[in-house]
Amino acid sequence: MKALRKILVVACVIALALFGAAACGKKSEGGGGGGGEGGGEINIALTSFPDYVDPQLSYTVEGWEVLWNVYTPLLTYKHVKGKDGTQVVPALAEDMPEISPDGKVYKLKLRPNMKYSDGTPIKASDFTYAVQRLFKADSGGSVFYDVIVGASDYAEGKAQTISGIKTDDNTGDITITLTEPNATFENVLGLMFAAPVPPSTPLDKDSTNKPPPASGPFMISKVDAPRTLTMERNPNFKTVKDAGATEVVDANVDKIIVNENKNNSAQVTDVEQNKVDFMLDPPVADRLAEVKAKYPDRFRMEDSINTYYFFMNMEKPPFNDLKVRQAINYAIDPEALNRIFGGRLHPSQQILPPGMPGYEEYKLYPGPDMNKAKQLIAEANPADKDITVWTDDEPDRKRIGEYYHDLLTQLGFNATLKVIAGDVYWTTIGNQSTPDVDTGFADWFQDFPHPDDFFRPLLHGESILPTNGNNLSRVNIPANNAKTDELLTKLIGDGGVEEQYAALDKAYMEQAVWAPYGNEEFTTFLSERMDFDKSYHHLLFNQDYTSFAIK
Amino acid sequence: MVSPIDSLEAPGEPPLPTGVPKAQIQGRSPWYLAWLRLRRNKVALACAVLFVLIVLFCLAAPLWAEHVAHTGPNENHLTDTLLIDGQEVDVVSPDGTPIGPGLHGKFFLGADQNGRDVMVRLMYGGRTSIYVGLAAALVTTILAVAVALLAGYYRGWIDSVLSRTMDVIWAFPVLLLGIALGTTLSIGGLKLGPIAIAGDSLWIPILIIGLVYVPYFARPIRGEILALREKEFIEAAVAQGKGPLRIMFSELAPNILSTVVVFFTLNIANNMLLESALSFLGAGVRPPNASWGSMISDGYQVIFTAPHLTVVPGLMIVLTVLSLNVFGDGLRDAMDPRAKIRLEH
Repeated sequence: MKALRKILVVACVIALALFGAAACGKKSEGGGGGGGEGGGEINIALTSFPDYVDPQLSYTVEGWEVLWNVYTPLLTYKHVKGKDGTQVVPALAEDMPEISPDGKVYKLKLRPNMKYSDGTPIKASDFTYAVQRLFKADSGGSVFYDVIVGASDYAEGKAQTISGIKTDDNTGDITITLTEPNATFENVLGLMFAAPVPPSTPLDKDSTNKPPPASGPFMISKVDAPRTLTMERNPNFKTVKDAGATEVVDANVDKIIVNENKNNSAQVTDVEQNKVDFMLDPPVADRLAEVKAKYPDRFRMEDSINTYYFFMNMEKPPFNDLKVRQAINYAIDPEALNRIFGGRLHPSQQILPPGMPGYEEYKLYPGPDMNKAKQLIAEANPADKDITVWTDDEPDRKRIGEYYHDLLTQLGFNATLKVIAGDVYWTTIGNQSTPDVDTGFADWFQDFPHPDDFFRPLLHGESILPTNGNNLSRVNIPANNAKTDELLTKLIGDGGVEEQYAALDKAYMEQAVWAPYGNEEFTTFLSERMDFDKSYHHLLFNQDYTSFAIK
Repeated sequence: MVSPIDSLEAPGEPPLPTGVPKAQIQGRSPWYLAWLRLRRNKVALACAVLFVLIVLFCLAAPLWAEHVAHTGPNENHLTDTLLIDGQEVDVVSPDGTPIGPGLHGKFFLGADQNGRDVMVRLMYGGRTSIYVGLAAALVTTILAVAVALLAGYYRGWIDSVLSRTMDVIWAFPVLLLGIALGTTLSIGGLKLGPIAIAGDSLWIPILIIGLVYVPYFARPIRGEILALREKEFIEAAVAQGKGPLRIMFSELAPNILSTVVVFFTLNIANNMLLESALSFLGAGVRPPNASWGSMISDGYQVIFTAPHLTVVPGLMIVLTVLSLNVFGDGLRDAMDPRAKIRLEH
């Protein structure tokens, strides 16, 4: 009997060992090789799918992170970590633009003989087409390109083309004329909004289901929105490199599969168990401490320049009353919200985040002071106390919405919380026809390192758009609009400009246009097989997928 | 040949007293006989008591919230502290970890990630879940009985139209239909002529759940009505000149009452399960309102670090549904002795 038991034990051990070996074999097979020489297949998890898989329309952190290495503009940002990554460099253009002495005319030249991923030649006129798409498809990014001569006429249908953009497909010359000097225009040319796309792309429609061919190191080979998309090496990226685009970096891995998974905790477990190679979102607060402690060689915190806030629709009661908006600012407790973020939030109650030129720390609404808030509400005595609070279904954001809902209830409002899917959240609340968009969760990550990126799209009166709008509070303060426009004609380095931006920040917060509460730190968490040291977090586009490599 | 009085003694019933002249035996109503049978099913009765206790527990929510926990179900306490054994403890620590269960009045079952009292939410969540379960069962019952009576009594094209409509609803998987309706209606609410229901109203999940289960209920009752329709007492009622509505409600309806009562009980349990599933998937009870399903949805993200957030509401669902199902089965056995015979086979 003992012998039989021994035989059984040995047989079990052998079976387990064989099973284990088979499992290991399958894992390395699924990894697609690697071996330190580049290549291989990796997979990424995100909680909310990109809003659009379209370079002219996408305007979320998820969208930009995925598409940055798919669509290359005339200019781009250096593929390096830290502040150097905010430097604008030539991409599809041969060189940086030649700017006229009055600062209104930009001349660029497209590199020759480049092709999109489908083999279509990249032409200078494709740039014009991309800018036209911004206006015809009602992109939230169109506000940056209003400054081009004839853009407004084109947007309003008064002109067939944008007169301020002249291109020559034979020579590759591109000349852009602005209505007035613009200190951020080089930055704006480096955004994916202006990445050339071929005329086969629909002019006035979202192309998510059939994305335009790529001009970057990756192309989108498959989209099943809002669940999954696949990025593969662009077979024609060589033409871009051969044309001399040294700043556009090639990829290490051959294929990236991006999957939406609403369960952040499951994403953490999947990365821990090496089933997923990278999770785009930071681990949920409850798992953060565990990940930090257990995986110091796979996890790190990352700097990010952003502001988290609650928007308040100033066009409608009760938030058309300054006292109500001030009350919210007094009532907000950034430290409470920091706990929802698991301690990753730097509490702040102003518009510009630390690290942005023009940032000067101040506090107009010391608190949390519920008594003061209630007193202000009593003084305002709003007739309409029915409020709809919006947030999305990502775990942290849902909790932020619940916190805010409770706060408004405590202040005597009859608040209703609406939680909608993260992948349609911004397009829903940015659409003016959506009813009852009173207040809710919002955040903003810098598009480029210039304070105008916070004031123009988010707070300028002209940014109140019918769709894809980012001025969610519907702020339109003429004096501040004029100041924003005036400052845009000056360079940040000019004397006193940063101070004026700081003053503009305060001017907006005196009107309590938002209820800001902090700036979030981001994270990188990779699977064991990924090369942790090679990967880096870009200050503008978050994780740089070209830096992903398998060990 | 058995006498008529002997035929009352169905299997499982208490035996008739012996030696007593048959003329002295009092008649017993079917309800009394059902009660006699049910009384002997101790497990079913225990489950009924358990369900009543759960309902009482949930009804006591405002008392517990006001006098013990001193907080409402949706009140956040992210930066509050609690004095335990003379030491100040964060309800939610700076790294976001909520306090676990303890034997203190406040936060008896710990807090969730927003610093809300889990015990209070559990009690209020139970009220929501049971309320949705009961109200949806009522909606299902009313609609299903109406459909079954109309289809079974009139037959013909009315039966065809109603039955095919039921088939269409039946063809959809219950959960998918619930999610589709829940997601759509939660954004814009429901507007049907003068009736307007807000997207966050509890009536949205109630109506959805009530509607999707109608065919499961209406079809067997319709079958029963079709059989009853052929009975002599209906012919007699028609001959007496009774109108269709009177026949439906005074002749047919009382004869299906026992079936309806059993279905109703079992339906509450099914509704609670569906409500939990819909709330878990974000298509049921709207946040921040608690239901047991939404509490599981909130807690499963942190099941490794704070398992109580998922386990406790999960356990409550299991106990409630189990108690209702066992009681419902007991009720069916008691009200339909033939079913008892089938079970004994």
